[in-house]
Amino acid sequence: MKGVNGKILIADLTTKTTYTRMLSEQEYKLYLGGRGLGMKLLSEYLTDQGTDPLGPANPLMFMPGLLCGYPFPSSSRTCMVTKSPITKASKPTKQFASTVSYSNMGGFIGPEIKFAGYDGIVVIGRSDTPVYLFIENERVEIRDAQKFKGMTSNMFDEAIIKEVGDRRFESAYIGPGAERGVSYGSVMNTGARSAGRGGTGCVMGAKQLKAIVVRGSNNMETADPLLFKELLKTARLSFGADSESKTNWRYGGTANALQYSSDRGSQAVKNFSEGTFSGIEKINAHAARSRVWKRDMACFTCQLACKKSGFAKGAYGGVVNEGIEYETGTMLGANLLIDDLDGLHKMIEIADDYGIDIITLGNVLGFLMECYDKKLINTEFLDGIELNWGLVEPCISMIHKIGKMEGIGAEAAKGVRHLSEIIGNNSHDFAIHVKGHELAAWNVQGYAKSLGISYTTANRGACHMTGGDINGQNLSTLRDSLGICSFAASWYRNDLHFRHLIKAITGFDLTEEEFMETGERIFNLERWLNCREGFDRDDDALPERFFKDAYTSGPHKGVVLDRTEFNSVMDEYYKNRGWNLITGIPEHGTLKRLHII
Amino acid sequence: MPLSRKDFIINSFWASSGFIILNRTETVAGTLTGNGPIKVIVADYDRCTGCRTCETICSAFKTDTSGDKSPHGPGNCEQSNIRVWRFMPPVDIPVTCYLCHDTPCVASCPVSVSAETGRKALYRDESKGTIVCDLNRCIGCQSCAETCKTERSGVIYPDPEGSPTGMCNLCDGQPQCVAWCPYEALSFVEIWPEQTKYSTPQIIFEQLKHKLYTIQSH
Ligand code: SF4
Ligand code: SF4
Ligand code: SF4
Ligand code: SF4
Repeated sequence: MKGVNGKILIADLTTKTTYTRMLSEQEYKLYLGGRGLGMKLLSEYLTDQGTDPLGPANPLMFMPGLLCGYPFPSSSRTCMVTKSPITKASKPTKQFASTVSYSNMGGFIGPEIKFAGYDGIVVIGRSDTPVYLFIENERVEIRDAQKFKGMTSNMFDEAIIKEVGDRRFESAYIGPGAERGVSYGSVMNTGARSAGRGGTGCVMGAKQLKAIVVRGSNNMETADPLLFKELLKTARLSFGADSESKTNWRYGGTANALQYSSDRGSQAVKNFSEGTFSGIEKINAHAARSRVWKRDMACFTCQLACKKSGFAKGAYGGVVNEGIEYETGTMLGANLLIDDLDGLHKMIEIADDYGIDIITLGNVLGFLMECYDKKLINTEFLDGIELNWGLVEPCISMIHKIGKMEGIGAEAAKGVRHLSEIIGNNSHDFAIHVKGHELAAWNVQGYAKSLGISYTTANRGACHMTGGDINGQNLSTLRDSLGICSFAASWYRNDLHFRHLIKAITGFDLTEEEFMETGERIFNLERWLNCREGFDRDDDALPERFFKDAYTSGPHKGVVLDRTEFNSVMDEYYKNRGWNLITGIPEHGTLKRLHII
Repeated sequence: MPLSRKDFIINSFWASSGFIILNRTETVAGTLTGNGPIKVIVADYDRCTGCRTCETICSAFKTDTSGDKSPHGPGNCEQSNIRVWRFMPPVDIPVTCYLCHDTPCVASCPVSVSAETGRKALYRDESKGTIVCDLNRCIGCQSCAETCKTERSGVIYPDPEGSPTGMCNLCDGQPQCVAWCPYEALSFVEIWPEQTKYSTPQIIFEQLKHKLYTIQSH
C-alpha cells in the first residue's frame, strides 16, 4: 500500500541483532501510526506473567505519526511508547503492574525515521554497556556509546553529529538523569525538545541505549498525489494566512498561557494549593520576550515556531536553549512561587541537561517545599538544603541531587508518591499525582468536569493533554497517532479534516464514524492493557487536596470540589465509555465492537 | 524582533556583518560579470526558524514529474537544493548555491575544457547564471563537492553515480523556496556583486553564535 513504509525496525540490544518486520494493511487501518500503532505492538509484547518496565522484555518504541515526514504544517510528532516505569496499581494482579506509557515529541527525528524507510523503531532487550543505534536507510548498527556516558543533552546533541560526521543526521537521546535511573527521565532531541512525560527515557536508560541517530533518503509516496497536492497547498495557504492566533503562537508560544491561566485561576501554584500567582508578570511571555528570548524555532514544516531560545544575563546568565513555556514556567515557577525569570531559565536548562521531565520535577520540588514548610521534614532529610518557597538556589541544588541520584535525590527521583510514602503524616493528601504520575500545570479547582476527567482517566497516569470528554479523548488519541501537534490541531478541520489527509496519503477512505472509532479503539486498547495489570476505577482518583483545600485568592477562591458531584460526572463518563460502572473496566461488548478482542 | 524586510536589506548591505548568504544571477541578461546589480536569494537569520519547509518545497518541485510542476508534493529533504543546517546552541542556517562569481567548484573540476562548448564537466549556464553539470563528461571525482564544502555553501552532494547535484537552479527565475517560506526569511533581491562576501555555514554559525549567545553582544 502507498503512504506507509510497511515495516518497522526491531533492534534487540541483548543479542545485538537488528531486523525488520512487515506490517499489514489492516494494522495500519485499525491503528494508523504513532501512538496507535505503538500500542498495538506493545499489546503483543506484554505478557500475562507481568513485564518489568525496566527489564529486557519491555519494548521501547519510537513511533512517528502516520503523517510524519509529509510536509503538512505541524505534523511531525513522534510518540514514544512503552510500559510505564512510574505508575503503580493499587490492587496489582501481577508483578510489576503498571500502565502503558506514551510521550510525544516534536523536532525532526520522526520524519527522518520515515525517510529511512521505517514506520517505527522497536528496541527490545538490554545491553550490558552503553550503546547507540545508528540508522542510515538499510544500514543499521548497534554501536558503542561508552564515551558518551554521563554526557549532558546539549553536549551530546553536538557530540553525536561529530561522531557520525554529518549534520544531516537527527538524533534522540537520554541525559545523565535517565542513564542513572531517574524514573521520570525524558527522551530528548535538539537539546531541548523532549518526550518528557511517562518515564520513557528511564526505560531507555535501563536498556543502556544512549541514543538513536537516523538519516534517510527514501521518497515518500502518496495514494492520491493530486488530492495530496491540493490539500497541502490549502494547508500552507490557510496556515500561512495572517491570523491573530498564529501571531500569538510566534510571539509567546505556550508561555502566553502563563498570564492567561493565572488570571483565570487555573494555574498550578504553591504545590497546587492556589490557582493564581502574584508574581506572574515577572515570568510571563512579555517578560521573557523582552529580556531573554532571541530566536523563534519551529519543528519540521511547522508555521507556529513556539519554541524559543535566547540569552539570560546576571548571576544565572548564559545560553538559554529552551525558553520558558507554560508547563516549565508554571511547574518550576508559579508552583514553587519563583518569579526570577533568569533563575527560572537556569533551572529549566539544568533539568534539560540532565534530561528529566520538568512537569514531574516541579511537582517533586513543590511537594518537598510544602513538607518542609509544614515541618514534616527537616534540612537533615533534605541533605542540608533549605528548601524554602520562592528561592532558586535550593531548587538548583535539589535538581543536581536528583539528576545525580545522590542522597535525598535518589528518593526524589522516584516521584511524589514515593516521597509521600516515606514521609507519611498524611502527606499523600497533597502528593499531586494520579496512579503515581504527577499532574501537569493546569490546576483543577473550577475546571474539574473536564480536567478532572483528563487527569483521572488518562492511560499513562495524570495527563492534561488527554481530553476532558470522550470525544476529545478519542480525538487527541488520533492526533498522537497521526503525529499532529495539538497546538495546530484546530487548523485541521473542514477541507483539511484529518480524514482527507489520511485518504490522500494512504487511500483509506474512512467515514467520520470509522475515524472516530479508531481513536476510541486505541484509547480502549490502552485502558484494557492497564486493567489487565489490575488498574480499575479506584485508581482513577484525584488527589485529596482538591476535595479539601480551597484557594485563598483568584476567581475560584473559597471553593472546593464536591466529591459526590465529581463522582456523578465520572459515572456518566464510564457509562458512555461502555466501561463497567463499578470497576471501570471496559465491557466485553465494547472491546468486541472495537475489534480489540 | 526580526528587522522589517526593508531595514533588513539595508542592514545587510551597508552595515553588514557577513551574516547574509548571497546567491547570484543576472537581472539583466549579460550583466553577470558586469558592474550592475544582480538578483540573488538572501536569507535573514533573524527570521529563519529552521522549519525546513523550504527543503520540502524545493525537493517536491524538483522531483515532480507529473507535469503540473507543483511544490506541494511530499518531497524528501535529501533531494533539496536548499539546505538548512542546525547548530548548537540553536541557530539554523539555510543555504543555497551562492552562484559564486569566481566559481571555485568549476575551477576544481579536472575535466578539460571542451573545444566545442568551451566548458568543463561543471560549468555556469551563462543564460541563467546557475551551475550545471554535464553528466556525459563528469567522471564523478567529487572535487567540486569537496571545494564547495570547504570554501563555500557546501550544497553539492553526489547523485547515485557520484556526479554533483544540489546546485540551485533558481526555479527558472521564480524561486519556490522564497515564495513559500512561512516566515519570509528568504528574499530574491538585487545586490552588487562586488559586495558579495562568501562564508561557509560553519563560519556563519560562529558569527551568529557570537551575536546571539555571548555576553559581549548583550
Ligand atoms: S522555510 Fe524559511 S524559516 Fe523555514 S527553514 Fe527555510 S528559510 Fe528558514
Ligand atoms: S556550487 Fe558551491 S562553489 Fe560552486 S558556485 Fe555554488 S556555492 Fe559556489
Ligand atoms: S564530480 Fe564531475 S563535475 Fe564535479 S569536479 Fe568531478 S568531474 Fe567535475
Ligand atoms: S530557488 Fe528553487 S532550486 Fe533554488 S533552492 Fe529555491 S526552490 Fe530550490
